Amino acid sequence: MSHDAATKKYAQNAASAIKDEILQKALNKIQSGLGKATALSYQNLDEGPDLRLAAHDIREKTINNLDVVLTRLAAKIRENGGRVYFARTGEQAVEYCLKIARQHHVKQVVKGKSMVTEEIRLNPAFEARGIEVNETDLGEYIIQLAGEKPSHIIAPAAHKTRQQVGRLFERKLGVPYTEDPPELTRIARKALREKFLTADMGISGCNLACAQTGHITVVSNEGNIRMATTLPKVHVAIMGMERVVPNLEDHDILFRLLSRGAAAQKLGGCVSYIGGPAGPEFPDGPEEFHLVILDNGRSRILADPKFREILCCIRCSACLNVCPVYGKIGGHAYDATYCGPIGAVLTPLMEGMNQAKDLCLGESLCGACQQACSVNIDLPRMLLELRYRLAYGDDQWETQPVSVAEKTIHQAWAFLAGHPALYRAFLRTFALGQKIFPTSRGMITKMPGPGAGWTRSRDIQPLSQTPFRKRFKKLNAKKAHG
Amino acid sequence: MQTNTTETQFIKTLRTALGIGQESAGARAAKIFTDPKDPSPEQAAIVKTIKSRRDKDHMALLHHLSREAVPLNLNVIPVKDKAQVSKAIANLVKETGPEWGAKKSVVQWDHPLVNALDLKTALKDQNVPVHTAAFDTTGMDDLTRSKARDRVRRQMIDSYIGVTSADFCLADTATLVMKSRPKEARAVSLLPSIHVAVIGKEQMLTNLKELYALLKYDPETREAELLPHHMTLISGPSKTADIELVMVHGAHGPRKLYLYVITG
Amino acid sequence: MTHATLFIQCIVDGMYPEVGEAMVSLFQRLGITMDYPENQTCCGQPSFNAGYRKEAAKAAKHYIETFEDSETIVCPSGSCVSMVRHHYPELFENEPAWKARAIAVGKRTFELTEYLVDVLHIENTGAYYDGTITYHDSCHLKRYLGVAAQPRTLISQVRGATFVEMKGCDTCCGFGGAFSTKYPDISTAMVREKVKNILDSGADAVVGCDMGCLMNIKGYLTRNTLNVRVMHIAQLLAGKKAGAV
Ligand code: SF4
Repeated sequence: MSHDAATKKYAQNAASAIKDEILQKALNKIQSGLGKATALSYQNLDEGPDLRLAAHDIREKTINNLDVVLTRLAAKIRENGGRVYFARTGEQAVEYCLKIARQHHVKQVVKGKSMVTEEIRLNPAFEARGIEVNETDLGEYIIQLAGEKPSHIIAPAAHKTRQQVGRLFERKLGVPYTEDPPELTRIARKALREKFLTADMGISGCNLACAQTGHITVVSNEGNIRMATTLPKVHVAIMGMERVVPNLEDHDILFRLLSRGAAAQKLGGCVSYIGGPAGPEFPDGPEEFHLVILDNGRSRILADPKFREILCCIRCSACLNVCPVYGKIGGHAYDATYCGPIGAVLTPLMEGMNQAKDLCLGESLCGACQQACSVNIDLPRMLLELRYRLAYGDDQWETQPVSVAEKTIHQAWAFLAGHPALYRAFLRTFALGQKIFPTSRGMITKMPGPGAGWTRSRDIQPLSQTPFRKRFKKLNAKKAHG
Repeated sequence: MQTNTTETQFIKTLRTALGIGQESAGARAAKIFTDPKDPSPEQAAIVKTIKSRRDKDHMALLHHLSREAVPLNLNVIPVKDKAQVSKAIANLVKETGPEWGAKKSVVQWDHPLVNALDLKTALKDQNVPVHTAAFDTTGMDDLTRSKARDRVRRQMIDSYIGVTSADFCLADTATLVMKSRPKEARAVSLLPSIHVAVIGKEQMLTNLKELYALLKYDPETREAELLPHHMTLISGPSKTADIELVMVHGAHGPRKLYLYVITG
Repeated sequence: MTHATLFIQCIVDGMYPEVGEAMVSLFQRLGITMDYPENQTCCGQPSFNAGYRKEAAKAAKHYIETFEDSETIVCPSGSCVSMVRHHYPELFENEPAWKARAIAVGKRTFELTEYLVDVLHIENTGAYYDGTITYHDSCHLKRYLGVAAQPRTLISQVRGATFVEMKGCDTCCGFGGAFSTKYPDISTAMVREKVKNILDSGADAVVGCDMGCLMNIKGYLTRNTLNVRVMHIAQLLAGKKAGAV
């Protein structure tokens, strides 16, 4: 896709999302409910909201020592009888999972919700080989049935109404129509229980591993991930290489923040710590456990000190729940695995800055995301940094300058800013020239070029014929009131 | 399978990205990992607090738990003794029916506290079988073992009530902590529609921080490892809000969770 | 004697000189003397936000040269102050001398309400306004300068005025500089919600501390002929009861 086409698509996606009333209602509910509740839950931390800053330090320390942390994690898991595979690319990770599936003649997989498997497009690869993949998180299950993509990290089917889900279940599962959420949940519960009991392989992501003890932890409120990691004979977990902390003490802090950031909970409903297979003396649990540790572009981010901080992210999705842009356009408009503020930074870094430039340019830089972030990541700083790389191009990132015309304008403006007399002359000329624009009640109603976007929905104040700089002397000459 | 070269290469890539060498790895590891044998004053104090708790402290934690459990739909029931628990479970069996099949059966851990409930006797007059989801693997060959596993799994699938104990209960988050052990099948608290757990009040802790401090810094709790290969934390029965953010209980796993705390 | 050097950012200088005037008359009432360096231009924020840092650095150097002899610089915009205070030092990562100068001037550059409340400890400006007011928190002012209580303190002392908080008072209005022209649909959806919240609050005037946001809000209001007054806080605080001297 050419870059202009990408911009057009983003703008179109956004525009149609804004017109979608159902989506708007859902987004509003997420943001006014979860967004607010999360902020409050930080306030209620025993240590106070500054625990987010401590968490940031822990994450930073981890990322800066990722080599030793991952080495320890892998060694510990192997000690416990688990297998660890380091995958440089998404393809390698998928290949590895397929190899295990082949070894065990796997026909059916149950999955716990995992963004990283979306990232590496695991499901289509399995399906192409005739292996049935079942998403088991209710939201993921719904969108899998509907053939859609998740629109939110934690609430993937947030864009669907109960009526839509009812009709979907009626059509796909052959059950009578109902729009009662408890009843719909029961229907999914029944259908998925069958899958859990017959699946040969469970696949999960990893919320946060603890290197010292050698465990991954996976969280769900539904209990589906516990099912998927307990019942099948083989469990494969895939984690982005950054999703780890060194010590249990660190895990405590990060884990509590993750629960609050994700769902304003003190602790996720159901947490499994998994460090290896169930040995022969155990009556149940998977007999094989594999952990795939994935790079897939992350080491490149690690190598850039200005972007390294994004690897501190624990994918809690709190930033989505407060972002005013996400709140209007929803997850699908980003057309990427990761959406919202985290996606706006991560996607250009993973998929190419030029390709995904609209994600970092299409933000208002309001800073709400950083305030909501469970680990206080400075997302706005990195949005600005991305724009900087895009402005001039960056060989390290194979990035081309985004617009020659725009650059010229900024160069001209900078020149004026450094030459006050010319600056004043320019503004004076503009103030005179603006008379060609149509006005109504003293406001300009239509402008050409870059201003057109503004005047489509808003008027704009014309420049005054007597700017402040011309008024000051006279004003200041007046006597101060006593 | 995994060749060591891919791992070596992977870690090397990280070091290049970080601009650091392998030489410093040992020193850096020593710096970022804390030593279970050498707790910080803060961690040591936590362990000491836990160890010094008396009856009334445990009762206070129990009260705290009861409050926190309400919004999570977890039923906390303080009881005087085991006999009361057996009676309560018998009542539960009388008043409820299975979700999936027609026949009532109960499955339990092979655990001293659970065994002491003597559920077989308690449920005898209702004619409800009680299975113990465990088997002794010593000397078993693979085939026999796999058959035994299948049998136990069937029992857990068929039973509509699962009875377990737990290692700890965290008051602040209403969380049951269960380390995996050979006689304590994981799915007893997962496949049945109703999960009943029984603990003594001295198993109460305040929060995750205390749990971790104990697991890591208390030699008695630490056993051989900080953690076994598997541990589960359960805070109330399964729930979902995936349809229009409406809270629904019982998405997967137990729809009801009863926790009996024996106060003695 | 209290003296302030005025930094009147481009939007106020060119489009809303009356805001600058209000600031002058407010300062006069409070006995603050002023000067206005004629050579001031743009702080460089538009270029910085768009990624053009070399260009922004040129504007920054000009600002530093223009203002570094001033003891206290006051500006009626949180985002310009945030630019000077937080982003100037970033621009000169490889120019330590400039960086030091940037930090020094950044420490002396204040946003209007933080200057009044935090520096001068003035809460009551003797202002009068007859009506109901709501307040819009501008993003950079609130999140990067931490200024949210100060304007409310000042507003609460305005005689005759009733203050109401609107829902989502600190949600972005959708301005975001070039964002508003590059992604007009998203920006419009945001300002639409902001305006809805303003109307729902029942206030007859919305007050803010940054003309960027207020220009956006006002543009949407007038386009839709909605009758809510838009005021910079300087205008509110300069207000007097009719007939009063
Ligand atoms: S950037 Fe922060 S808030 Fe957003 S998903 Fe990551 S950790 Fe959560």
